Parts: sequence; C-alpha cells; structure tokens
Amino acid sequence: MRVLLMGNPNVGKSAIFSRLTGSHVVVSNYAGTTVEYTRGFLQLEERELEVIDVPGTYDLEPTNRAETVASEMIAGGELIINVVDASHLERSLHLTLQLLLTGKPVVVALNMWDEAQKAGITIDTARLEQLLGVPVVPTCALTGDGMVVLKSRLQEARSSSLVSENGASLWQKAVDIGQKVQRAPERASTFRDNLDHTTVHPVLGPVFALFVLLLSFGFVAYFGNFLHEMLEWVFELLWLPVAAWVSGLMGGAGMLHDILIGTLIAGEIHFEESFGLLTTGLYIPLAVVLPYIFSFYLVLSILEDIGYLPRLGVVVDALMQRLGIHGLSIVPMMLGIGCNVPGVMAGRMLETRKERFIVGTLIAIAVPCMAQQAMVIGLLGQAGLSGLAIVYGTLFVLWMAMGAIMNHFLKGESPEMLIDLPPYRMPYWESLWKKIYMRMNGFIRSALPYVLLGVFIVNLFYTLGVIGYISQVFAPVITGLFGLPGEAGGALIVGFLRKDVAVGMLAPLGMELNQLIVASVVLMVYFPCIATFVVLFKELGLRDLLKLTVIMILVVIITGGGLHLLLQATGF
Amino acid sequence: MYKSLIELDLKEEAEVIAFNGSSLMNRRLEGMGIRQGKKILRISSQYIRGPVIISVDGHQAAMGRGMATKLIVKPAERNGV
Repeated sequence: MRVLLMGNPNVGKSAIFSRLTGSHVVVSNYAGTTVEYTRGFLQLEERELEVIDVPGTYDLEPTNRAETVASEMIAGGELIINVVDASHLERSLHLTLQLLLTGKPVVVALNMWDEAQKAGITIDTARLEQLLGVPVVPTCALTGDGMVVLKSRLQEARSSSLVSENGASLWQKAVDIGQKVQRAPERASTFRDNLDHTTVHPVLGPVFALFVLLLSFGFVAYFGNFLHEMLEWVFELLWLPVAAWVSGLMGGAGMLHDILIGTLIAGEIHFEESFGLLTTGLYIPLAVVLPYIFSFYLVLSILEDIGYLPRLGVVVDALMQRLGIHGLSIVPMMLGIGCNVPGVMAGRMLETRKERFIVGTLIAIAVPCMAQQAMVIGLLGQAGLSGLAIVYGTLFVLWMAMGAIMNHFLKGESPEMLIDLPPYRMPYWESLWKKIYMRMNGFIRSALPYVLLGVFIVNLFYTLGVIGYISQVFAPVITGLFGLPGEAGGALIVGFLRKDVAVGMLAPLGMELNQLIVASVVLMVYFPCIATFVVLFKELGLRDLLKLTVIMILVVIITGGGLHLLLQATGF
Repeated sequence: MYKSLIELDLKEEAEVIAFNGSSLMNRRLEGMGIRQGKKILRISSQYIRGPVIISVDGHQAAMGRGMATKLIVKPAERNGV
C-alpha cells in the first residue's frame, strides 16, 4: 500500500517521514527542502507500507514545480497522511478539505502541537475529527510525540463524506471549522517578534546578515583549522609510524612504494607532499578536508534549523535580482559552498529555466566547495591573508559580474520572490546532529574513494609520463597565459575527479605566492568535479550544460590570464 | 480609500481587498493566507527594490515589489479619525 505524506510547505512532513520510516532525510526550517519526493518503508504489524514524502503544497492545482510534483503524486496514493501545522490551522485546513474531496482515505496529523500549545492555542481534536470525518492525531515529529498513536490509527483512515465545494466556499468552510475547534489568544509582542523585525529591517537587516556571514565564515575557518591541527597531530603520532614501517618494509622505493607511500621528501614521509595512497590519500580527506566540512555543516545546519536562511534571502533579494535570480537562491549557493552537488540540486526550487541555469552556472564557476577551500586555505594561508583575500575577492567579482551578464543576455523570466518566513525556532539538537551526521557520512562515503582514486591516477600518470606529455601540450595556456609551471597541468586534469587532490598536487611544485593565487583561482573556476558535472547534466540538460561549459572555458581563460597579468604588473 | 500594499505605511494595518495579478499567483497568495478580508500588517521592506514583508495570521511572508503593487488593500481606520 502506498501512503502519501502531504501538507503545506514547512509543516514537518519530512520530520514525520523520518519518524515513520526510520530513513534519514534532511529536515530544515524553511519551505522547499523537499523538491522531489522521497520514498521509504514502514512496517505496520504484518504489512509493509510504502511511505512517500511529497513536496509541500498549498493547493492541489499546482502553482509551481514542487506543487506539480505533489499533484501528480496524488493519483498513485492509496492513503494520505495530511500533515497540518497546528499553529496555523486555518490555512492548513484549506488543503485538508481539498484532500478530503479527492475521496482518498485520510488521516490528519496535527503537527507542531507543542508550538501551538506554547503560543496558547487550544484545539478541540475530538470536534475536529467529527467535523472532518477522519482521524485527527496531535503530533510533534521533532521529539517523536504522538507518532505511535499516528501509526496505530492509520487503519482507521477513511474517505470523508464531505460534499464537493470549491473556490471561496472552501475557504469559508476552512475558516468555519477553524473557528469551531480552535481557541487562540491575542498575540503579544515577544522577543522572537523583535528578532524577526530586526533581521528583516531595511537597515539593521543587512548589517545583521553581514555580521552572521562574517561570524559563520570566521568560525568555519578558525574552528576548521583547530580541528585540522588536532587531526594532523593524531596523524603524526599514530599513523606516521605505521606508514614509515610499511615504507621501510618496501625498502623506501619502487613502484608499489610510490603508489602506497609516495615520494620520500629528504628521506621522510611528508603527508602533504609524498602523494601515496596511505599518506596523502588519507591525509587530505580525513585530516584537512573533513575538519572544515564538519565546521561548515555545523554552522549551516544551525542557521537552517533556526530559520534564518529565508530571511537572509529577503535581505539579499535586491542584490540577487540584478543577477536574474531572487533572494531565495542564496539557499542553493550556501549549500554549494559545502558541496556543489546538493547546491545544484537545490536549484530545483527555482521556477524557470533561466533561473536554474544562472544558479547552476554561478555555483559551478564561482562557488568553490568546502573540500577545495580547505586545501586552498592550507596552501595560501601560510603566506598570510592577502593571497586568500585576492582569491575570494576575484570569485566574488566573478559571481556578481557573471550573474549580471547572464541576466542581461539570457532570455526567460525571473519571477519575484514570494515566501513564507518560518518562525524562529531553537534547533532541536537530536535532529540537528542527525543532519550533520548524514552530511558528514555522505562526504566520507562519496569523497574518500574518489580521493584515493585521484591519488592513484596521479601516481600512474607520473609513472607513465602522462603528466609530462600534458604539460607540453598545454604549456602555451598554462605557462604562457597563466604563468604557471608546466606540471600544474596535471592538477587541472586531476581536478576533474577531485578538486582537493588537484590543489594538493600544487603543494610540491614550489610556486611563488602569485602563482599559487592564479593556480587556485583557475582550479576553482574551471570544470567542476565529475560528480557536479553529472548533476548539472541531470538538472540542466545537455544543451544548457554545453552552454555552461563554453562560458566556463571563456571565464577561466580571461580570469586566469587577467589575474596573472595584473599580479605581475603590480609586482605582487 | 484603497491603495496597493506598496503604498501602505510601515506598521500600518490593512484589509486585503483584491489581487490584480494572475489567478495562479492569487491562488498561491491565498494558500499563504493572504486573501480577501484578511488583516495584514506591513512590517518592513528592503531598500533598492527589495521585497516587502507583511504579517498575516501571526506569521510573516515576503513578496516582491511587483506583487506588492498588485495587492490592493484598505487601510484600517485609525483611532480618532
């Protein structure tokens, strides 16, 4: 049997889904976290139910992409769990009535029951059950309250005897039912309201946003570095003796030694530069990238669960409109800073092809993922902040300029933003940690094999002399245009696979700071890793991907060459 | 006196009269609780053509300025007027 979880956006469908099925899905405090449906299974006594987490919708007649998915799903559902926000009963009921009129068996989950109670709202569930003619269960999906009752009452789901009405009368009915079952006090101004007003205030809002962003990135950089140093220490203390023992066993040289341990630097293993599978291959993902990924997802997940991101979207909307996308596009951008793959996928929340193309292109070209940033911070940070400032400054200028240019030349619509601002909430730590864990787990599982493969290929290339060949072929561009040593060409090839490994390859080349800056920018801007490329293909289609690729090649040549000349001219 | 949401003063309360836009947008607004007869309060707006933020039914919504010019409202009568 197929069960559909349906309701307005941001009422907790995904949280209920996660509770019912035990599958892990990302839950956040803003609308549109689920754009495609997610499927899971629920064992109920002898039967196995297929549960589908349907994207949020206000109306069964679709008004946007997520709602189109929702209304298409409904035909295939045999039972509907209608998730209702107990603190916003009236407007939730409008959808409930529409669902009842489909004639499908329905159970109503009055979710966010705790929040409604805190706001002093009381709902007579028995009376509501009577008026709707289907079971009504109060739930709080984040804590799990009411989930047992919800499961046990699924059998009682039945079609309602409500007769068909539509338009205004359906709204009137929702209002009537709301008034009959709900007592809500006059709302007094609270601290939360004041915070609400401050964060979207025309002057204080942007100031607050800047403060939050600086604080967030400062935290990621410093806490990431702190964790990195700790893990580096662990590596030196525990792993170095093991690796040195293996190296000794193999006599310190030979092809197998080169692949597993890499090149000894002054007779010793160097985790950053040796480039063996057991040395650099483990050190890069676990000791360099992982600490920054963790710090980033910690901050991002807290901002998500508090409910700040949509407000950040409001504040940056005026700026982003100049780039042909509305303020909520900040969400895919922020996700893209962690990893481009989920960032590009989140672009689905945007309505038009133009918007999705702009977001995909901006992420692929001007939003470097955290794995890459961690390596670049390590590479450039040693020489002070100036190098990093130039790299990030260049990316920001690119982001703005390319967005504005694309907005000007691309045909198509850029709709305005229309969005519910979710109430600020304290993060619920259990689900917060689960989300961070899922994201970390996703990183380790998807990145580690590719990093190892990347390191292996690097060694293979060196052994077979491929790097030398590539260096020769691309010398006019790499040396002539970008002013980099020919070996950097190898990094550009490996960058297809993993950008962090590619940046790692730059370390042993002994480049000057200005060369490191150009190389970092070129690596960040040119082709995203293969995983991002595949997702871009899926989301944008072949034609737009080709268009994106042409833009990217032009941008990398102009930016890399221009930056090289500029740094040379200014004697940096 | 009717005016559009964009002309409504900050912290001014009003009643929604109509939306002069596509029926699609109208349904979306309705779903968010912004429909005829509802009391709304303009909370804030952003500079350089940023969105307008309103409060309706105890929650907040942000909409672009184009939409806000199409939303026709009737300001509540002030005390003593």
